[in-house]
Amino acid sequence: MPARAEPATSAAQQLAEVITLPVRTVGNQATGLAGSSIRTFRAWTANEVDDWGRDNAFVNRFWSASQLRWSTSVGGSEHLPKRSGALIVINARRWSLAPIFAALALGAEIDRAVRFVGRPDVAPLGPMMQRLGALLPSEAELAGALRAGELIVLGAEHRSTNRQAGLIDHRLVGAAVATKVPVLPAATVSVPMRRNARVEIGRPVKLRRKRRGPLDELETADLLQLRIDDMLDEMGGALTGTPLDWLPTGGMGGL
Amino acid sequence: MLLEDEPWVGALEGIGTDPPRPRLRRAVFHRIVAGQHDRTVEAVTRFNPHVVVHIAVWEPYSRATPDSARELTDDAATSILGAAAECRALESIVVRSGFEVYGRQRNAVTRPDEDVVPFPTCDYGHTLLDIEHTANAIGRRVGVTVGSLRLASILGPHVPSPLGRLLRMPAVPFSAVADPPFAVIHQHDAAEAFVAAARERVDQPLNIVSPGAITAYQAIRRGHRLPVPVVGPQWVAAKAASYLAGAPLADHVKEMLQRGRLADNARAAEVIGFAPTTTTSDVIDQLYRWPSVVHHPATKAVA
Repeated sequence: MPARAEPATSAAQQLAEVITLPVRTVGNQATGLAGSSIRTFRAWTANEVDDWGRDNAFVNRFWSASQLRWSTSVGGSEHLPKRSGALIVINARRWSLAPIFAALALGAEIDRAVRFVGRPDVAPLGPMMQRLGALLPSEAELAGALRAGELIVLGAEHRSTNRQAGLIDHRLVGAAVATKVPVLPAATVSVPMRRNARVEIGRPVKLRRKRRGPLDELETADLLQLRIDDMLDEMGGALTGTPLDWLPTGGMGGL
Repeated sequence: MLLEDEPWVGALEGIGTDPPRPRLRRAVFHRIVAGQHDRTVEAVTRFNPHVVVHIAVWEPYSRATPDSARELTDDAATSILGAAAECRALESIVVRSGFEVYGRQRNAVTRPDEDVVPFPTCDYGHTLLDIEHTANAIGRRVGVTVGSLRLASILGPHVPSPLGRLLRMPAVPFSAVADPPFAVIHQHDAAEAFVAAARERVDQPLNIVSPGAITAYQAIRRGHRLPVPVVGPQWVAAKAASYLAGAPLADHVKEMLQRGRLADNARAAEVIGFAPTTTTSDVIDQLYRWPSVVHHPATKAVA
């Protein structure tokens, strides 16, 4: 009797295994996926932050993800100081997040933490931007970071195109003047319809006539704006990424 | 013990509410409870010190409730600093303060240096700033230098700390929407800073903090504790739960968890040559390695 019962049991087991096999496979896959997701989440959130709250691993992941959209090239990085602090002032097109991407691109280019000005002090956006290296737009904050030898990107007032730089906050430039660090102009060009973007850093600006008072930062800010405009002209002015750029409306082409 | 090893230190006397744990070789200890004004004045004026290091600060919920802590701190500061002013030999006063004096109001500087104007936003910050003001007023009046060491949260195996106690709980609340960074200082580094400040006769405030920073969530993860994300009004429940669990959440600790607390310590290196030996992350790692109970075997059989 047992000899006859065995084949029936094993056949039932085999049938059960065939039926449950997909369930087990899916279950194992789901468990594995959940486990790896938890491990990834733990690995992503177990990073360390630096003295200013910047999370280097988070910055690297954000930069990698941003390269799906933007392909940013950097020129003129030899003008940046190797170790000491400097203020890099850039133009900014509206909605382009130019200070963020310029800071990330420069950081990736020179393999050094580059911070940017312009985080709100409101959660959750403020702390998240702090992880990316953002600083509050205040003179004391900027002066502290520059004294600590940090490279900082400051965006000019937004404009709708890359044709010209907007106004530059002279009070924030004053932090660099007070701490006696170099101030460099940089032109950023990006086109909404295209993938390529460019950050070009110029030489540090120096006033011909030394000022003792607040005129120093005012004139430095004006000079920076002028230099950025010149660099933007050299880079072709405003671009749209469409055949409109071919129209000879600006003497050498472009709008 | 560190001051005993200093070659420039001659006679050394200390006042405390609790007896010192280690064996002191040449320092004389006076056990005087804060508030015993006459005994404090008598002990200090009889000794007539050149340098007074005032570290009698009770952090809220470290060993006393916030109200008691403020009262004890005020009593100690009034008695000791007042008595020090009567000493003819006095040259320098060093007092303990904290990052809490800077405050964490909206748009406050993320990493303030000593030039930032103090604007405390918690009771403990006001208490510390009062000590600084008292010491500075006495310094101006009797013509001695006054240095304030603004310390980050002190963590160490022998320091009762509301932050350390909170982080060592099995489940720890953290701000789900912000989780800002903060920095701490190891008790040994803090003690080294006081010795260096006394040696150099510091005459200005100095920030004392370990390099690096950490967020509450990262600290919880390092300690393999259960992170409990908290938002808005849930902090009331978190505060009540931590109180019942034996680790009351002091206001200045809650402020730190919600707004962060960092400071620039570059000037301490320039002025007193202070270089902390332990980073913030290492202090947190050590926090979780310290045993809850330390068993000392008997050195002498009694039965």
